[in-house]
Amino acid sequence: MKVTRRDLFVWGAGAAAGMVFSPVPWKLLDDVSIWTQNWPWIPQPPHGPIEVKQSFCTLCPQGCAMKVKMAGGCPVGVAGVSGNPVTRGALCPLAFGVHQLNWHPQRLRAVRHKRVSSSWSEARAAFAKACGEGPIVIVDGRPGSAASSVLASFAEEQKGSYRVALSLETRALLPYEAMVSPVIPASALGYDLERAQTIVSFGAPLLDGWGIPGRFTRLWSERAAGMSEPQLRLIQIEDSLSRTATRAWRWVAIRPGSKNALAAGLARVLVEEHLVSARGPLSALTVSDAALQTNLSESAIRDLARTMVAKPPVLAIAGDERPEIAALNFILGSVGSPGGIVRRSKPTEKYELANAAIPNARAVLIDASVPWDYAPPTDAEIFRFAAWDGGSNRADWLLPAPGFLEEFTDVNSAPTSAVETYGVAPQLTKPMFEIHSAAQFLSAIDSSFTNPETIIHQRCADLFRERAGTVYGQEIMPVAELDSAQKFEAELSKAALWVADAPKSASLLCELKEWPSTSPAESPRNWSAAWAAAVLPPLATKLYRESSLREAPDRRTA
Amino acid sequence: MSRNSLVFGFGLAVALLAGWVAFPRALYSKRPQPVEFLHKTHAEKSGITDCAQCHAFRDDGEFAGLPANDTCAGCHSDHIGTTATEATLVDHYIKSGQETPWLVYSRQPANVWFSHAIHVRRAGLACADCHGSYGDSDQVRVYEVNRISGYSRDIWGHSMSRLDRAAGDGMKMSDCEDCHRRRGIEVGCLGCHQ
Ligand code: SF4
Repeated sequence: MKVTRRDLFVWGAGAAAGMVFSPVPWKLLDDVSIWTQNWPWIPQPPHGPIEVKQSFCTLCPQGCAMKVKMAGGCPVGVAGVSGNPVTRGALCPLAFGVHQLNWHPQRLRAVRHKRVSSSWSEARAAFAKACGEGPIVIVDGRPGSAASSVLASFAEEQKGSYRVALSLETRALLPYEAMVSPVIPASALGYDLERAQTIVSFGAPLLDGWGIPGRFTRLWSERAAGMSEPQLRLIQIEDSLSRTATRAWRWVAIRPGSKNALAAGLARVLVEEHLVSARGPLSALTVSDAALQTNLSESAIRDLARTMVAKPPVLAIAGDERPEIAALNFILGSVGSPGGIVRRSKPTEKYELANAAIPNARAVLIDASVPWDYAPPTDAEIFRFAAWDGGSNRADWLLPAPGFLEEFTDVNSAPTSAVETYGVAPQLTKPMFEIHSAAQFLSAIDSSFTNPETIIHQRCADLFRERAGTVYGQEIMPVAELDSAQKFEAELSKAALWVADAPKSASLLCELKEWPSTSPAESPRNWSAAWAAAVLPPLATKLYRESSLREAPDRRTA
Repeated sequence: MSRNSLVFGFGLAVALLAGWVAFPRALYSKRPQPVEFLHKTHAEKSGITDCAQCHAFRDDGEFAGLPANDTCAGCHSDHIGTTATEATLVDHYIKSGQETPWLVYSRQPANVWFSHAIHVRRAGLACADCHGSYGDSDQVRVYEVNRISGYSRDIWGHSMSRLDRAAGDGMKMSDCEDCHRRRGIEVGCLGCHQ
């Protein structure tokens, strides 16, 4: 029998039809897609025991407690810690991919000088030389930590200056510094959200990435969500229907740029109608001026003022640094009282802010905790520590810093917290290349400085000596019931959290001499400004960018 | 029947035969376990009746997975038989302090967050619901590795069509989804992929 060309085609058609009804194409599709996950250049955690360890996220100042799933000693997943009294099991969406960041393509792997590969010894020599030639400035993003002590002492020793880049939430507390006595820095103040019954938010994204993830959202879900007459009233004053505004008890839509006018108008109504005990000072703005500027009616402003005080304690929260909102809180009697602005820790020294002018500095050293987009206002030589290279930057030196869980460090109270807390984040994973934190770098230049580890041990010992507060670990234990400082430190080293006793708000004296005239220029109000890492984890990119889980960074001025 | 139909049918038959018979054989390669471990023998001779006696939960509720050699050394610190397997286990692994490199039939990618504690303790699933009745086997199962994906055949299941699988045969994401759907338990992407 002769096989023709037609036979071959017909046979091929039959074979193709047969293939469709065989597992070959479908199974190959599945296997090949899995194979693409295993390409040699895709980092794979080593095989090994699967363990779950506890630590803290150190990517932003909130310092959320997290459980870290480790495979063969590498972090491969994270989850919140439900027993943590501050975060109550929540993490921000960015953190769910945080374990991927150590392998991020933009991870800084070696020292770079003017974008060209260099070495640690050259960087140390250059910085030591700069220290000898003129004043230096050290910028820190997490004041109060053990590493900060090293940075501050080094700056003092060199007769330089120590500056801090505060988180957005802490910057919103700056106007209270001038109001309270004894002088308390904004970083020692917090919001007593738990005892407030009415919260008036002037554009603060309370349900959308503000402060400690889980703190306000949990409060809101327990005391307000779905209730027509909630125990906690959230009034959102904002020009657009943000996610927080959609969920708030009341959304007050005002004209963009008129929050200060509304605060002044509300203060006037509160005083004139004797709704509060304060008598002023007040702004020169009348209620009708405020109505004109905000596009609300006079009666709407009066109603709003009455509604605010109908369910005390009432607390006004600004989304950025806004002295008018601080003045409104003063009029409401909410500064230093339960359910208002409270002092969470002992008075400490005020910090010099990072955005103040830096005259005549020879060099500026920026710690990795400072958000990548911070640009010091100077022409000095810049030494920038960072774990990730976020793209264009004016830094002369880029110095690779520890990434996620690659260093032993401590975690202080979160910026908005009403109580003082202290935790120790253990190092859970070994760095893959030579990295140093700014504190280690400075200690290597001058070995007379106490290293951060020793400072952490000392802090644990000091806290134990006070015999106050409670430790939240596997169990909840009052410090007074622990036998020894070693036991206390051992608990903290396993990422337990020390929480101080209730804040002593009564001891705050406050005074407002005059109504603030103008607000400083508006700063970016979005959560992303507080994110210290220069890059997003791939998982967060997918969730955040593709699902629009949160609003995109917004730099509108109001 | 026309010649064309015959030729077409022949092509169809060859492809079906290749797809259903030759392809699975070519796709999986067989690998021996480092030690011939018999679940049934252990259950009968040492009175181990509960999987959790060796595959234990840690104090914090996490599943410890395969037992480390310390557990085996409880009985096998020295030879308790004359078989070659016993010699391999004792001399090669236990005495040298090297962990036995078991080939894990149910190994999943590391980005899968699966809590045994939730499934076993809270949902009350039996081990066999996912792992099959492996604990009763009296011979070492062949470990078949997929040449392309690198994972065990147990993940896809032994039926190529996945239509006539026994309970506990197959551990694809769709199997998790099916089970969750049947029980009305919703989990978002981040519940398992973190
Ligand atoms: S809020 Fe900050 S500390 Fe908390 S999980 Fe997110 S990035 Fe980490």
